[in-house]
Amino acid sequence: MFEWSETDEMVRAAIREFIGKEIRPHVDELEHGDLPPYELLRKLFAAFGIDALASDTLKKILDKQRAREESGEQSSAKERGSTSLLGAGGQESLGVILCSELCGVSMGMLAAMGVSMGLGAATILARGTLAQKERWLPELVTMEKVAAWALTEPDSGSDAFGGMKSTVRRDGDGYVLNGQKTFITNGPYADTTVVYAKLDEGDGTPQRDRKVLLFVLDKGMDGFVQSKPMRKMGLHSSPTGELFFDNVKLGRDRLLGETEEHKGGDGRDSAKQGFVTERVGVAAMALGVINECQRLCVEYAKQRELWGKPIADFQLIQLKLAKMEVARINVQNMVFNTIERARAGKMPTLAEASAIKWYSSETATEVAMDAVQLFGGNGYMSEYRVEQLARDAKSLMIYAGSNEVQITQTAKGLLGQ
Amino acid sequence: MPNIVVLVKQVPDTYSERKLAESDHTLDRDSADAVLDEINERAVEEALLLKEAQGGEVTVVSVGPDRATDAIRKALSMGADKAVHVSDEALRGSDVLQTAKVLAAAVGKVEGYDLVIAGNEASDGQAGAVPAILAELLGVPQLTHARKVELDGTTLKVERESEEGITRLEASLPAVVSVGEKINEPRYPSFKGIMAAKKKPVETLTVADLGIDAGEVGLGNAWTSVLEAAPKPPRTAGQRVTDEGDGGSKVAEYLVAQKLI
Ligand SMILES: Cc1cc2nc3c(=O)[nH]c(=O)nc-3n(C[C@H](O)[C@H](O)[C@H](O)COP(=O)(O)OP(=O)(O)OC[C@H]3O[C@@H](n4cnc5c(N)ncnc54)[C@H](O)[C@@H]3O)c2cc1C
Repeated sequence: MFEWSETDEMVRAAIREFIGKEIRPHVDELEHGDLPPYELLRKLFAAFGIDALASDTLKKILDKQRAREESGEQSSAKERGSTSLLGAGGQESLGVILCSELCGVSMGMLAAMGVSMGLGAATILARGTLAQKERWLPELVTMEKVAAWALTEPDSGSDAFGGMKSTVRRDGDGYVLNGQKTFITNGPYADTTVVYAKLDEGDGTPQRDRKVLLFVLDKGMDGFVQSKPMRKMGLHSSPTGELFFDNVKLGRDRLLGETEEHKGGDGRDSAKQGFVTERVGVAAMALGVINECQRLCVEYAKQRELWGKPIADFQLIQLKLAKMEVARINVQNMVFNTIERARAGKMPTLAEASAIKWYSSETATEVAMDAVQLFGGNGYMSEYRVEQLARDAKSLMIYAGSNEVQITQTAKGLLGQ
Repeated sequence: MPNIVVLVKQVPDTYSERKLAESDHTLDRDSADAVLDEINERAVEEALLLKEAQGGEVTVVSVGPDRATDAIRKALSMGADKAVHVSDEALRGSDVLQTAKVLAAAVGKVEGYDLVIAGNEASDGQAGAVPAILAELLGVPQLTHARKVELDGTTLKVERESEEGITRLEASLPAVVSVGEKINEPRYPSFKGIMAAKKKPVETLTVADLGIDAGEVGLGNAWTSVLEAAPKPPRTAGQRVTDEGDGGSKVAEYLVAQKLI
């Protein structure tokens, strides 16, 4: 694939129309944190029938599982791994287009949606029992309810599993959870939160080596506190918060899979399953930033006049535009390549996905900083939007695995370690 | 269950700079992005609302160059069932009379139509006459400038909005309705609708297929001709009235001088 299909282009045109009419007029409110992104996301879902599509897909998945369980058949590994609610069946490109178009105006909105659907709901879908899926997923896949996905802690980011201190102890048939999480997207507002915690069996196993279990918490549970949104550099339209657990009592029905010996491995494996998708997803986000920066810069360069001519005539400006074009070609090719691979059922390896994440996030950040420079003083002012794109883009280098970790994993892949 | 025809037109995007060709004052179609006219989106929306409430079928009819397929697909992706596209080099530069004639023939191809819905005027030509001429040619009632449409069996009720006020109209099907800005808010095409649009039938016809002689259409045979076209004069700076206690009367004087009051 070297270009978007006709259908893709129609989808893109429709999304752009929606963004122009429904999102751009609210960017200031979103950026100042006065407007949480969820109502607009629901409107987006309803406008394009994404909610109905996701509900249909979920229903099919659950019906199949129910029929299988009733007949006592075992699920195949392939079916267990099928966690895509949107964009399956040859339409992988739709999700990608939605993602990159949103990132050009409000990356935070995409982050809020991506975490709720792609991490929160997807983890329940991959690890939950039928009853758990039926309990939480129907409202999550339509964004009627919002999910958070809580792994990171103050003392454990890149070393998430090793350094994790949040702990559960067995308590009768259930568990008691203590600890805290930080930098959690949707944390302040989430209705449903997937929490990773270590099991203390009281047998002296060092903290580092303890088993990681996953639980689902609901808003308002006793001892569960969701902080107000934290202040941050960018990505303002995505509320990020801290979570505190003070003797939160959890029934066994909240343990994902309702077993400590999950077939899919422990919580460490669960998180890793999503790594490839998450990392190539960053490329689609980066593409949105690059496209928007390039569009704004070409327009501005032609129209801003100095010394009696448009700045587009200056070679150093042309260099910036040309570099943006190289970035666009590269990142777009990576995105096209991943779409093709998803269609062929041959996803990139973890090392490849890491290389893609590193390159595309760094490139988008460079492009956006160049865009600020090209706009001069206007670039530094909020009104012209490129400074927002630069602050938003920078976040891509930190979450979904910070870039240093991506580099390490790319090298590990090469060195066969 | 009404069998509805919606007339749609592809027009230059009103957000881009629109131009006429120097040589013959026809639309310079390359100068601007082409889109489905927004008023037509409302016409499609109204047809879909009727279909959703009462069943039936919605057929889109468009007269325009090959690339008007994009506008047709948009209408289909919103939910229309099928389309008739009349595309012929001979049609280039046709005026409202010729266009209405071609449309009448094309509507005639839609078997057993009950209701034709159009926009009241296109955002490019702005003649606003096609729906009325079409109704004459088809020999059916015209209910134009609708801000509200109700269909009860074969009785059509329309609130017509004009500068004089609101007029309530009633007619029996078949009929032609043209809708105004206030009629509804058009939907976005759903992802599912966009994917389905690809597979919906679009019948492409030439004027010969409609039994119309090519010598009757096109710029050279038009009943009306554009003698001159000039771009809008640039906006002037306006006049500022400083209020030194007599601001009100100064504004009034200005308005009187401009013959505005
Ligand atoms: C906007 C935002 C939203 C987020 N949302 C969520 C969420 O929803 N859920 C969630 O669980 N987490 C979330 N996070 C957390 C995110 O995943 C972590 O910030 C990230 O994994 C980095 O961890 P850290 O912040 O603790 O940095 P640290 O791990 O402390 O890293 C500090 C520095 O050391 C570098 N470094 C680390 N290890 C190595 C190494 N082996 N070699 C060389 N350098 C190394 C890092 O790259 C970094 O430069 C979010 C973060 C942000 C910024």
